[in-house]
Amino acid sequence: MLELIAQALYSGVLQGGSYALIALGLALVFGTMSVINLAHGELVLLAAYIAYTVESRLGVNPVFAIPLALLVVCLSAMLVYALISLIRNDREINTLILTYGIGIILTNGVLLIWSADIHTTSSVWLQDAVVVGPLYSMHSELLFFVVSVVLMGGLWWWLSRSWYGRAVRAVSSNRDAAKLMGINPRLTEIISFAVAGLLAAFAGVALYSYGVIQPSYGHVLTVKAFIITVLAGIGSIPGVLVGALLLGVTESLTVTLASSALQELAGMTLFLLVLFVMPNGLFGAARRRG
Amino acid sequence: MKANRTTLVGLLVAYGVIPLTLGHNNYVMSLIIASLVIGGIALAWALLGNMGGMVSFGHSAFFGVGAYVSAILTLKAGVPVAVAMLLGGVGAFGASLVMLPVLRLRGPYFALAILAYAHIFKIVATEWESVTGGAGGLSSVPRFPVLFGFDLGSKVGSYLMILSVVLIFVVAYKWIRSSYYGLALRAMHDSEDATRVVGVHSTLLKALMLFVSAFMTGVVGAFNVHYINFLEPDYAFNGLWVALPIVAAIFGGYRTILGPLIGAVTVYLVDQLIFKNLIPSGHQLILGALLVAMIILSPGGLLPLLRKRSRNNHAAS
Amino acid sequence: MLRLDNLSVRFGGLMAVNTVSFSIGAAEVVGLVGPNGAGKTTLFNAISGLVRPTSGQILFDGADVLRAPLHQRARMGIGRTFQIPQPMHELTVRENLLVAQRFGTGAVDPRKIDEILAFTNLTSRAEKNAAKELALTELKALEVAKALATEPKLLMLDEVLAGLETHGKRRFMAMLRDLHTRYQVGILIIEHDIETITQLCHRVVVLNFGERIADGAPDAVFRDPEVIKSYTGAGHA
Repeated sequence: MLELIAQALYSGVLQGGSYALIALGLALVFGTMSVINLAHGELVLLAAYIAYTVESRLGVNPVFAIPLALLVVCLSAMLVYALISLIRNDREINTLILTYGIGIILTNGVLLIWSADIHTTSSVWLQDAVVVGPLYSMHSELLFFVVSVVLMGGLWWWLSRSWYGRAVRAVSSNRDAAKLMGINPRLTEIISFAVAGLLAAFAGVALYSYGVIQPSYGHVLTVKAFIITVLAGIGSIPGVLVGALLLGVTESLTVTLASSALQELAGMTLFLLVLFVMPNGLFGAARRRG
Repeated sequence: MKANRTTLVGLLVAYGVIPLTLGHNNYVMSLIIASLVIGGIALAWALLGNMGGMVSFGHSAFFGVGAYVSAILTLKAGVPVAVAMLLGGVGAFGASLVMLPVLRLRGPYFALAILAYAHIFKIVATEWESVTGGAGGLSSVPRFPVLFGFDLGSKVGSYLMILSVVLIFVVAYKWIRSSYYGLALRAMHDSEDATRVVGVHSTLLKALMLFVSAFMTGVVGAFNVHYINFLEPDYAFNGLWVALPIVAAIFGGYRTILGPLIGAVTVYLVDQLIFKNLIPSGHQLILGALLVAMIILSPGGLLPLLRKRSRNNHAAS
Repeated sequence: MLRLDNLSVRFGGLMAVNTVSFSIGAAEVVGLVGPNGAGKTTLFNAISGLVRPTSGQILFDGADVLRAPLHQRARMGIGRTFQIPQPMHELTVRENLLVAQRFGTGAVDPRKIDEILAFTNLTSRAEKNAAKELALTELKALEVAKALATEPKLLMLDEVLAGLETHGKRRFMAMLRDLHTRYQVGILIIEHDIETITQLCHRVVVLNFGERIADGAPDAVFRDPEVIKSYTGAGHA
């Protein structure tokens, strides 16, 4: 029994790495633009399908799809940004509806191009088992977990050390003050969208490498990413990592101890629980009511 | 009431002309009925947005709960269909009660919290097999009865039913909007504190709008289940019940009362008759594109845009 | 009529209001002064319900105000204006007052609305969109009008004269003077202009760093050395 739980925790943590990448992209955009991109999950999905196409057409390991995925997804993210900036009034609500519409376009676009079949990688190497003590995982899970950690480390470094990264943080916390200091908010918005696209691309390829993908998954991913940002609380990057791991572990435990059908339910319930009990998230800055 | 003559003509067309001229064409009647179902949800959605100031991406929750409650009551407890329909609305209202805590959330948080609820209800419906029939769903859900020799289960009968339900919604919406509550609700969007300080119980009013919107959507869901006589979780809580009403409301103009209805009929008919033939699987893509275009070009909807154009033309001449 | 007993409001590490006590009688006009950041608006927020005090009591005609939720305080007879005017968006001026009257008193009396419009010089602007078509003076007048529509026993005015030029100020002051006699309300007014306070108020309460440092007739209070120090020493006036 204990072994089962340990395995579930282990798998959940590995899965949480990719979730963190997705959630970070969403949080980054929310930080600089105060808008939620409801099509974010679909961007991840796009990357996953590109990985599939590369593998099935060229017969290579989907990891090699990453450059193409980066290109396509970042361009798509820029397109989404361009559309969002066309909105003039009621930005918050209209952007929600806009990105919701974009999500529908992308999901159905994927459906059209690739049909509704389920896919996952056929690469033997990726699916090979890696055994660490009593714990089992696939090469792909471990590989992409390491990739996630590296990317998050890079992101942390970038946000705290580089000029552009610090500009992103400045705009997130006080837009007007940032403008007064010569920071172009538009530029930082574009950058944060591009970075979100980058993270999404990696997450998408990861997802294809160790999980199954289908057109409807894009929407599910957006919801999960959103759940994680709520768990984390506003303005906390380490919080996103913890939230992602928490979600991954919760899902994993649910699958192991209950049933896989309840997996989504567990995530949702966790989300609602945190919303009611700790509305500022686990790490969010406490905000005064009223 | 303004535009009395237009209203009278409209009612005449809706209740008289349409059944008489199209009543025999089952296909067209089915389309109209389905579009009115979407219209009802669109109206309820717009009500929540305009009056309550809340954008919801989870109205499928109310639709599905209303459908299941009504279906189960008629199938397993022998409740008459009309009563069950109302109780379906009450069930949806009950579902909204558990959503009360998310009322205090802003914009995207509320929208997605509601979505989370929709997912939860769907999973409950799928897993609670003993009551809901599980993934297989419920079949042979009772039809509408025969009333005074007139079969309400027929196409024309069902059409008249949903038409009446939707019109009652319109009247209710109008009443709310023109009341002092409507004034206060509109003021609350941007200046909630200003209203509270003069005595408006803003939280209560918002909750009431959620309840009304949920009840309406639940009744529509209940109507639908007795109309098609069958139900399963994937259908009842399908994302289409979220997407189509939103596209309809935005297209028709969500700030007006009739806009969502007109939008629903237009969008649904065009989608089924044209888009579906263009792209059989994935025609929703065009709906998404339509939504994107509308939000960018004319968030108030197509109708207000056309009205503005015609006014400009008149002014020019 | 209104009594504050050792009222304190703490925000995290900051004591915005520190054991403040004073009272206002039914017919009094009391000024609330102090340098910026002294806690005056926070005090208003505590009384009207936008902020929850950390400790202390507020009694209004004997009733415990803190037990009442925000929206009920208008019904109790407590009205307030906001320093930065907050008109009800999307509504006309008249509709602003209708909402205030309907929810603040429970009934609608169009004649009283017309009276208030006339009194605050807003009759000609009655059908204009409150948020988009009013000048600053009119917005400030609307703040007062909204509060009056709720038929308050205590009217709390938060820097109602700030930002107005001399002419507008004079007109407003005349209106404020009339207010007290015409509507029989007790007034608690936050203002920075000492002359205004001296002319309008029976009494003045001075706050500094959240504490009450003086309470008395205007002439006496403004000669109090500690009060003078709080203004000149603190750097703002």
